[in-house]
Order: sequence, then C-alpha cells, then structure tokens
Amino acid sequence: MSVFFYGSAIIAILATLMVITRTNIVHALLYFIVSLLAIAVIFYTLGAPFAAALEVIVYAGAIMVMFLFVVMMLNLGQVTQDQEKAWLVPSIWIGPSIMAVPLLIEVLYAINLQQEQMAHTVIGAKEVGASLFGPYVLAVELASMLLLAGLVGAFHLARK
Amino acid sequence: MFSFQVGSLLNIALILGTVLGAAALLIWVERRLLGFFNDRLGPNRVGPFGILQSVADVIKLITKEDWIPPFADKLPFVVAPIILPIVMLLSFAMIPFAPGVGIIDMNIGLLFVMAMAGLAAYSAMLGGLASNNKFALLGGLRAAGQMISYEVFLGISLLGVVILSDSFSLRGIVEAQSDGWYVFPQFIGFMVFMVAALAESHRWPFDLPEGEAEIISGFNTEYSGMKFGLFFVGEYIGMLFMACLIPVLFFGGWHAPFGLEFGNEIISGLFWMAAKTSVFIGFFVLVRAALARPRYDQLMSYGWLVMLPLSLLNLLITGAIVLMQGS
Amino acid sequence: MSTPEESSIENRAELPAVINELYGKFGESSFVRQHTAEGMPTLWVGRDKLLDVLRFLRDDYTPRFEMLLDVTAIDERIRVHREGQPDSAFTVVYHLMSFSGNCDIRLKVALPENDQNIPTVISLWPAANWHEREMWDMFGINVEGHPNLSRIYCPPTWVGHPLRKEHPARATEMEPYAMSDEVQDREQEALRFSPEEWGMSRKSDTSEYMFLNFGPNHPAAHGVIRFALQLDGEYVIDCVPDVGYHHRGAEKMGERQSWHTYIPYTDRIDYLGGVMNNLPYVMAVEKMAGIVVPDRVQTIRVMLSEFFRICSHLLFYGTWAVDLGQLSPLFYCFVDREKAFNIIESITGGRMHPSWFRIGGVAQDLPNGWDKLIREFVDYFPARLDEYDKMIMANTTIRQRTRGVGVMNTQDAFDWGMTGPALRATGLEWDYRKDRPYSGYENFEFDVPIAVNGDCYDRAAVRVEEMRQSCRIIKQCLENMPSGPYKSEHPLTTPPIKEKSKLHIETLIDHFLSVSWGPIIDPTEVSMAIEATKGINMYYLVNDGGSGAYRTRIRTPSFIHIQAVPFLSRGLMLADFTAIVATTDFVMADVDK
Repeated sequence: MSVFFYGSAIIAILATLMVITRTNIVHALLYFIVSLLAIAVIFYTLGAPFAAALEVIVYAGAIMVMFLFVVMMLNLGQVTQDQEKAWLVPSIWIGPSIMAVPLLIEVLYAINLQQEQMAHTVIGAKEVGASLFGPYVLAVELASMLLLAGLVGAFHLARK
Repeated sequence: MFSFQVGSLLNIALILGTVLGAAALLIWVERRLLGFFNDRLGPNRVGPFGILQSVADVIKLITKEDWIPPFADKLPFVVAPIILPIVMLLSFAMIPFAPGVGIIDMNIGLLFVMAMAGLAAYSAMLGGLASNNKFALLGGLRAAGQMISYEVFLGISLLGVVILSDSFSLRGIVEAQSDGWYVFPQFIGFMVFMVAALAESHRWPFDLPEGEAEIISGFNTEYSGMKFGLFFVGEYIGMLFMACLIPVLFFGGWHAPFGLEFGNEIISGLFWMAAKTSVFIGFFVLVRAALARPRYDQLMSYGWLVMLPLSLLNLLITGAIVLMQGS
Repeated sequence: MSTPEESSIENRAELPAVINELYGKFGESSFVRQHTAEGMPTLWVGRDKLLDVLRFLRDDYTPRFEMLLDVTAIDERIRVHREGQPDSAFTVVYHLMSFSGNCDIRLKVALPENDQNIPTVISLWPAANWHEREMWDMFGINVEGHPNLSRIYCPPTWVGHPLRKEHPARATEMEPYAMSDEVQDREQEALRFSPEEWGMSRKSDTSEYMFLNFGPNHPAAHGVIRFALQLDGEYVIDCVPDVGYHHRGAEKMGERQSWHTYIPYTDRIDYLGGVMNNLPYVMAVEKMAGIVVPDRVQTIRVMLSEFFRICSHLLFYGTWAVDLGQLSPLFYCFVDREKAFNIIESITGGRMHPSWFRIGGVAQDLPNGWDKLIREFVDYFPARLDEYDKMIMANTTIRQRTRGVGVMNTQDAFDWGMTGPALRATGLEWDYRKDRPYSGYENFEFDVPIAVNGDCYDRAAVRVEEMRQSCRIIKQCLENMPSGPYKSEHPLTTPPIKEKSKLHIETLIDHFLSVSWGPIIDPTEVSMAIEATKGINMYYLVNDGGSGAYRTRIRTPSFIHIQAVPFLSRGLMLADFTAIVATTDFVMADVDK
C-alpha cells in the first residue's frame, strides 16, 4: 500500500511543480488535473473511496472544467505569457524556497509520527453520510446556507 | 482451470476484447441501421454484409499521416483524443456483465462512473482549445457547457436508484433488482438519465459540440488520422457504455425478464445483458435518425428548467417513500 | 420595335396611367418614352430627376411601386439600332414593380462616356446595394453615395470591368494566366476580411468579437459562399456575405452565343431549376420574334417546370432538415427527387440540365407511355408529403428552432427585393403564375400558399404547400394534355420543323441558315419573368439585330435574397443562422451567374 501512496504522492508533487512553472495556463491546468487525480489515489489508498470519488467528480471534473471554460473565453495573449515568463527568473525562487524548507521538515516529521497510526478502516459513503447528517449536521446546514447565498448571487450577476 | 471470477485475468482480457470489438462492430451496426432507417444501404462492401468495414476504416486511419497543425498547442492537442477512450474503458471496469463476470466491484462503482464521465469532458474541451481553430473553440465551449450541465442531472437522476438499492456498487444495484426492475419505481429517473446520457456522450440529437451544420465538426475539426480515430472510437465506446449502464441501473442487468432463464446463470446472464444492451444501442441509433438538434440555449434551458426540477422531484419523492416505508 | 415618332403623337389618354401621371407631375419634357416588345412602360429620365421620380413612384403614386426588382446597365457604345433613344454611352436601367397594382415600369438613365456617375438609391430600397456594386464591378459605373462600392463578383484584384464591350469574353482573347508566388500572395491577401471596411468594430465595451469565416467551404453554406460572421460568443452581431466564387459570366456569354445556343447556359443558372430556367429566356425570344407557341407546348413546359419546382423544393426540404440536425429526411427527399428525375429523364433525356425548351417549342414530343410514369408519381407523391409533414413540420424541436427566427414582414420583403416563397411567407398572396399568367397557367386550378409570420418555419411551410400545388398542376397537365404539334409553325422557330426543309432548295437553305445561325430578329428590347423555384427569375434581352443578344440581363432571385441574410440574422445565434441560410434557399450558381 505504501508503494501506491509514495508513488502517487511523488506524482502529485511533480505535477504541482509543473503547474506553478507553466506559463501556458492550459498546460498548467492539465498538470493540476493530474495532481488532483494523484491526490484522489492517495485518498483511496488511505481507505476513503468516497472522498476519492468526490475529489475527482468535484475538483477534477467540475471545477477544473469551469476553469478551462473561463480560460477559453478569456484571450490573454502573448503579453501575459511574457509577463509570466518574467516571473520564472531563478532569483525570485530563493526566498520562498528558504521559507518552505522548515515547512517541509515539519511535514515529514509529522508523517513519520503518523506512519504507525495509519488506520485501514474503510470510510465509505454511508459513514460519510451518517457523520454529515449526525454530529456535523449544523456544519452542513451552515455550508448549505453559504452555498445558497452564492447561488443567489451568481443568479443575480448572470441576469445583469 | 478457467474460472469466472470478478477481476480474474481471463475476465479482464475477455471483457476488454469484447468491448473493443463491440465498439468497432457498433460503428458498422450504426451505419447499417442508419442506412435501414434512411432508406438506403449503408456500408455493404467489405466482407459479408460489410461487417469488416470498421477494419478497413481502422487501417485507413492508422496509415494516414499523423498530422499536427503547426498552429496547434501540441501537448493538449495530443493528449485530448487519448483521454476519451481511456476514461470510457475505465468506466467499463465497473460494469457487472453477469454473476462473476466483471473487472472490479467497487463499493463506489457508481461514483467512479460519474467521475470518469466528468473527466471525459476534458477530451472535447482540450481538443477544441488546443486546435487553435475558431470552429473547434466553439465546439469545445459547447462541449464544456453541455457536459457540466448534464452531468448534474445524470448524477441526481441516479440517486433514486441508489436510495432504493442502498448501494453505490453497480453489482449491488443489479442484485437488488432481482425482484423487480428499477425502471418502474424510477421511471422519471430513467427518462432523465436517458436524456442526460445522450447529452453526456454527445450523441444525436445532442451533438452540439460537433454540430456539423453549424460548426463543421466542432472540437475535432482539426483532427485527422488515428487521433481522429480515437475520438471516434471513444465516442462509440461511450455509447456502448451508456447502453450497458442503462440495463444495469434500470432493467435488472443480467436478470432475465419473465423468468426466461436458461442453462448456466453466467450464460443466461450474459445473453440477457447483451440483449438489453442491443435494444438500447438500437434506440440510440433510432434517435439519431429521427430527431432534430436543439439550439444551444434551448438545450441549456431544457436541462436546467426541465431536467433538474424533474430529477430533484424524483429524488425527493423516492427518499420520502423509502423513509415512510422504513419507519 | 421602338417607334418613338409615334409616341409623341399618341393621345395622352391612351398612355399607360403611370406614364400619364409622371408626365403630369414632372413635365413631359423630362422623359423620353421607349417602346419595347413586351409593352412595359419604359421611360428615359435625366440623372438629376432620377431620385425624385423613384421616390414619387415608391411613395406617392397609387398604386405604389413597392419593389425595386432589378437595377442593371447596358454598354451602348457599339449598339447600332438606338432609334429614338437619347444619346448614351452607358444606360442604367431601373425596373420597378408594383404588387398592389400588378404592374411594372422601367426607367432608364443615360450616362455619357466621360461622366459615368449615378446617385445611389439605397436610401429608397436597401436591396439596391448589391445591384449597384454589381454595376460598378461589371461596368465601372461609379455610384455616388454608396456606402461600400467594392467589387462583388470579381476578386478585388481584377483589372477591367467584364461587361464592358472592350473586355474580352473568352480566355483565349487574353494573355495566358499564370499564378506566380507573388500573384498568389497578392490574391490571398486580397481575400483577408477586414471588418472596418464593412463598418464593423472589432470589439464592444464588454467583449471582443470573433470573426468567423462561415464558408466558402462549409457544410451548411449550400455552395461556395462565404459569410464573414461577427460573433459575440454564439450570437451573430452582424454578417457580410461574400459571393462571386461561382461567377461564370453568364451574362457575358449571352453576348457571344446565338439566340439558340444560349439555351443550355440558362439551365445552369439555377441548376436546381433545370428547364424552368429556359422558360423566361425562350419566352422573351418568342415575344421579340412574335412566335405564339401551340397549346401542347405550353402545357408540356408547365408540366416540366412544375416537376423541377418539386425537385428544387425537395432538395430544400431535405437540406433544411439536415441543417437543423435531422438526418433522415434528406434521404427520403432524395428518393422522391430521384423518382421525379426519372420522369424528367424519360421525357427529355437529361436530368438536372436538360436544356429542353426551344425557341417556339420544345425539343421533342412527349414519349409514348409518358402518362403512366407521371400518373404513378402524382398518386404516390402527396402521401409522402403528408408523412414528411409529420416527421419534419410537426417536429417540436424543428418548430422551436424555426418559429420566430429570421422574421420578415411584407414591407421588409419589398425593401429587400424578396420574391417567391419568401415573400408569400410574409402573408402577401402574389404569385407570378396566378397574377400574371404565362405559358397557359391561367388554365390551371391551383392555390397560392401563403403564411403569416414570415419566419423560417413559414418559408418552409410555403414551399411544402407549393409542392402539393405543383403536383396538382402536373395532374391537370396529365389529364388535359392538348394534342397538336410540339413546335410552332413560325419561321423563326429554332430548330425549325424538319419536314419543311424537304420540299425544295429554298426551304432547305432556310433550314440550314436557321439551324447554323439561328433566327435573326428585328431590334428591340424585352423582359420576361416567371415564378421560378426561388422567386422571380427575369431575362431582360437587348436585341441589336444580330444573331444573339446585345445584352443579356438575368435577374436571379437568389442573388437578391442573400443580401437579406444579414438583416434576418442579426442578434440571433449561430444555429439560427444556418436555419436562415437554409430557408433563404439560394443556389450559388443562381447567385453568381
């Protein structure tokens, strides 16, 4: 199992690296989808197939399609591409990299600690549903209110 | 000793071979059927009754120059046609063809199918965007809008089935139908699913992403050779998949109607599964021959104003009835 | 024949009412009257008074002349017989038509060689736009005030104006054509669409427009035409039709062919109309020659014309359905069309372009057993149409796609020169066959189908009903086919009746000359129009006493109808655009001549 985990984790990291280094937004989105798919595999290996499926349906399936949709409608052109190329000059990377190193060490340490505790109980749709409409029902209601507000807002904007 | 067991290598090989062969045959079947409906012959020259037409087509497509237009965005241009057949074939892994025949039984089978359907949209979108052609771009936009919208109803229309069978697993759904097909209690769900399935696989009359009279060939305008072939085959695998999924979800899968079982349960199951699938393939072709294409805004308003309320209503009523029976 | 001397001593009371009124309003001295073979009121008017006269005829005169049927020009510089006509190097001809009064008038303006300018009449009739561009392209007549006076048929790189008499008519009269790389680059560059030339902006406040080349090779363009579409998303903001890809110079060919040998060219104008194209041409020549054709000829002509109307409408019906995404009707329509073509083939020997009508008759008599084939067809066809009604016209999707799309009212139709089914779909019951019967149409019982809304659905519905009426006419032809000769006895009938040549040497010489040169007809002018498949098809022939026409003008309905496509499609969606293009029902050969 850990082979699957490390494999997909590496793919996810590489793909995400590609996402942030692409100047062509379509290519970036393509790699982002790969990254999301890799994360879905990680969910699955961790025993959360429902979360994995939702990850693909919602993120890779719907949200990214929406992004692409918007990209198709926008015509960014050569100017933005040149601008983004300028952002990729190596010197710009030094600062963020130094700040990221402690984070990486922390994460690795945390993962190491958790290694023994990685439980393999499968959390299926039923369990997710039961907990959403059981202990977390208030959160669900709040989230649905928020989404409703978003929906009404979108409807209002679209009518304009 | 050969044994039919879900996930056995033999099973995988046979199913893959059958699906690919059936998809190729389907191209011929559709053209012959269309010919029949259209008062003409259809392909009848290659092999007996023209049955080898697809072979000839594949040879032609493979030997054609593999051309990428110089103005295209190469990476997505190449990736786009590969996505469609892959996700469609992956979806087939979930289909339970008969007791013991299938590739994998996931407890989230239906969700997996939905996820793959969501990924299929990329094929048309990337193809349309990468071609750098205005007709292709319009086709890609149409594909994106259409597939996102109809995916919503596709998913919601199935929830009734999930509630009734208490399972996301396709095999579980079929087994739950041993004492009655879901088409009767879930008729609205079935109708919505049929329409959404047509739109999702952009089959006629929802072929707007490639609406010939308007945008020439839509997202695949710039494609030729085997890259076009992949789009083409992917579409037919998708149609075959939908024709398999409908019996599984609503018509009892491998269960024989009126107790007409015969012989071994695997053979009987496969026979009935194939028979039901064929009926829906015939139906898809008939729809293609008979109906006219709606306009894009009509398609969208039909989806959001008719299909969505219908499928939500279906979900609400099904849930209410199940809750009442349960209590 | 033009006899101007007589006109001045004619009693004013005997003049056509419109001329009388014009004389009263603008003074008799403003006009010169000309006589033409078909007797249409024809007046020469000064360039300075042109717009006033046209406006008067359009707005103030009763009955109003609602439609500008045709605008064209004549290069008069080498014309010999111009007795009684004012001096002119180039004559611009305006043909006005009144539907309320069921009459026509022709106005001519003389232009001297050194001043080839004429004011535009677009402000009166928007349809004049393309006529004037055509006049500029073909004759080099400058139209003052025209918004975009560019070539319409010839490429922008063309040198010379083809319908001028000095322009060669054959490739062999010109230098051999070679396309070097530079020439190719230049031609390609000339094809680039520049929105600014057409008054289109590249972006609005909120979005950038996409300019889409719909054609010249597009599955739904029905031939080689290019529509440059200005799109905002899928919405058509504006569109510019670009024609000329199919231009063959049919009018120029008319100046070099003899009367007889031009007949096959007419078939190829509206290539879906077949022999129906021959009809206005041979009728015009017969009118000039004074030939009266026998009843049998008239009935045969009517019967074949109606067959071609059915063929043309069937093609429209099927392709319209395909453009709306319905695949099957095309094949059914083609099966029926094939049956009609089989009958045409067994009668004429040809299928799409039989070129079967002759000056003074038809090529052959009907074959033995012709009635059996036609009886089978008239029994079979109406039932098929009923089936198509259920499949296409009653289809909900098709109704939703076409009702209220591409709407045009009768006044718009007048302004844009729409005739035929497009005009009748707006609710005007006017059919050339009914209102000005020719070739014996007055003897037939048939209805003129009309609709009320003038949208895509109505245009199609009118055509469908016309097929039923055509079938009815064919049935009457079948039941009442007169006996008698299939050619007129008139000496100018071409080719003449052969039996006469066998009497003595004089008749043989006559026959020989008549066959090799064709008829020589006294100089005059004539125009003849018919209700063709797509609208009013008119031939205007100027005869200078030669063996062929001095000037052949073909008024084709498709050319004028395409001009209205931008008007019909603004603000609609791309899918509506194909529905509009399909119901405009044009044939590119008819557009480009």
